[in-house]
Amino acid sequence: MSLRKLRRLGLEPELVDRLERHKKLSSCQDILEKIHLELLHLTNLTHSDVQKIVMTASRACAPTPTTALQMRQAGFSSGSTPFLSTSLPGLDQALHGGIPAGSVTEIAGPAGCGKTQFCIMLSVLATLPCEMGGLGGAVVYIDTESAFSAERLVEVAQGRCPQHFCSDDAFYKLTSQVYVHKTPTCTDLWNRLQCLEEELIEKRVRLVILDSVASVVRKEFDNSLRGNLSQRVKLLSKEAALLKYLAESLNIPVVVTNQITTRFNTSREGPHHDVLSGDLGAGNSAAVDGGYVTAALGNTWSHSVNTRLIVQYLDDKYREVMVAKSPIAPFSSFVYTIQSSGIVLQDDETIRKWSERVATDPGLIPIKVRTMLGQGGGLVVP
Amino acid sequence: MLQEEREQGCIITFCSALDELLGGGVPLTKITEFCGAPGVGKTQMGMQLAIDVQIPSAFGGLGGEAVYIDTEGSFMVQRLEDMAKAAMEHCRHIATVENNREQLEAMANFTVEHILSRIHFYRVHDWVELVALVNILPEFLQQHPKVRLVVIDSIAFPFRHDFEDLSLRTRLLNGLAQNCIRLADSHKAAVVLVNQMTTKMGHSGDGQAHLVPALGESWGHASTIRVLLFWEAGCRYARLYKSPSREEATVPYQVTVAGIRDVCIPNNMQDLSTATKEEGDSLGEHSQRKRPRVS
Repeated sequence: MSLRKLRRLGLEPELVDRLERHKKLSSCQDILEKIHLELLHLTNLTHSDVQKIVMTASRACAPTPTTALQMRQAGFSSGSTPFLSTSLPGLDQALHGGIPAGSVTEIAGPAGCGKTQFCIMLSVLATLPCEMGGLGGAVVYIDTESAFSAERLVEVAQGRCPQHFCSDDAFYKLTSQVYVHKTPTCTDLWNRLQCLEEELIEKRVRLVILDSVASVVRKEFDNSLRGNLSQRVKLLSKEAALLKYLAESLNIPVVVTNQITTRFNTSREGPHHDVLSGDLGAGNSAAVDGGYVTAALGNTWSHSVNTRLIVQYLDDKYREVMVAKSPIAPFSSFVYTIQSSGIVLQDDETIRKWSERVATDPGLIPIKVRTMLGQGGGLVVP
Repeated sequence: MLQEEREQGCIITFCSALDELLGGGVPLTKITEFCGAPGVGKTQMGMQLAIDVQIPSAFGGLGGEAVYIDTEGSFMVQRLEDMAKAAMEHCRHIATVENNREQLEAMANFTVEHILSRIHFYRVHDWVELVALVNILPEFLQQHPKVRLVVIDSIAFPFRHDFEDLSLRTRLLNGLAQNCIRLADSHKAAVVLVNQMTTKMGHSGDGQAHLVPALGESWGHASTIRVLLFWEAGCRYARLYKSPSREEATVPYQVTVAGIRDVCIPNNMQDLSTATKEEGDSLGEHSQRKRPRVS
């Protein structure tokens, strides 16, 4: 849209020719990035003529308005489900239906907590037909850590909906609808994302999973080197913008997974930050001297995702998923375990055992990690 | 000018603490900026204001329309619906309790469908679209003279990546700011900008990194009023950072199913109707302050 040529705007052709040839102004973006005085100087036209050109270019580039009411009615009538049900009833209820379509959802947590399991489970659910609560379409699974296992996919499918997946035929259909791409480096990932749009349309993809966005970036960018941090932030922002664009234009959910990082109160590691000094006292609510563990990739990335779910350990068997950031859901948490059928929410009894969690800054929620097993269930609670 | 300033309206919110902080509410003809860390409630604030601007004048509101410009994709109609329903019920409660005929009549036009139909939504994908849109907004506002609020959520996102040339970014932001000011003034509308935070390495001896509002130092001059939203000890706070007429202060608020509300003090929590009545009173007070009721 911004690269739309001036030619197409209906201005006088000889004016357009002159601008293009002599002044290198050929697209709308070129016009809109200059200030008024500059344009006056470059085009040698009168003030009102320049104004006219700017307004014509603006009208061509600006999006069309709709009202919130029309959006709601469009949602009702479009037939495409606005949410992907996660089949975890408590979580679905908190999120008003499930993982929202048209936006980017992030699952962050320590290693081994269940992020990839969650993604595999969502892949199975997305391929189910709409009547069964799925999206009835294909899934693109971009794997940066080589963690995807087709065997596990089949196992989860069998465990989750045994009636549906009862024949070899059904399994074949499932596995042929999940497209896995391995992208072990940043460049691979970026290239893959850029040519993703065609693939999504052609194969009728209804869910995109990126597992994980953090691992490639952290491998290749060393934060202690100058300039690397800003490059990393730029790359992540570009990826976020592209994923959001794909999510919105095709109205599909996009799920990314993230790792965790340690933050110290006295910043020995440069990029990890403290809130505006003077606002908080000696530390943040749950921090102990040393630091605390929180979602990786920094502050800008946290702004870029629309919904954030954080998973963490409670003890060796039980884990917890928290809705940390969502435009539609309040802070809530659910206890689960990982079984052969995937993620299974635990009932209220178990939940009551664990203390009430108070809502707090989603960037600073302390996340429990698992220490060595067999030591009486020792957990590092930072 | 004094007279104009006195008569100039504000967008009242349902959170009396916030209204106090801002001297009546979000003021018209000025740019107000809300900045804060991810997840603190900036989008919620924008959506709440888009509903609050529509509160009928019988209740002390502006009875206007809103333009919502979304650059991030966080806008969800379902959430807006929840907030609109809560706002409507709140007003209906006041109207019934006070048995005020004018208010009851106004409720006919303050249903969820009406509220949603008066929010004009634009989805903007990059800075070129944003610049273009702000250029043509004056035309749109002339065709829709009842618009009293323009929300840009967020102004930071399109400018934070893909910008090799920082001076271009500064120029564009300045141009945008000027256009917004002109818009706010000529159409008597409030412009609300939502900004993100960025990490800044401290220059002082401790070398600590701080979170500061994004888009740089020069952007700080663009908005007339700056409110910083942050978390502390499990509660959300709003701090007035910059304002020409009010002094710096910090107030707590919370985000509930109904939207942005005051934090209830414990002894009011048992009786929900008391709490509602208190808020209702504060709304009533506002209406008395603004227009002396002709009895």
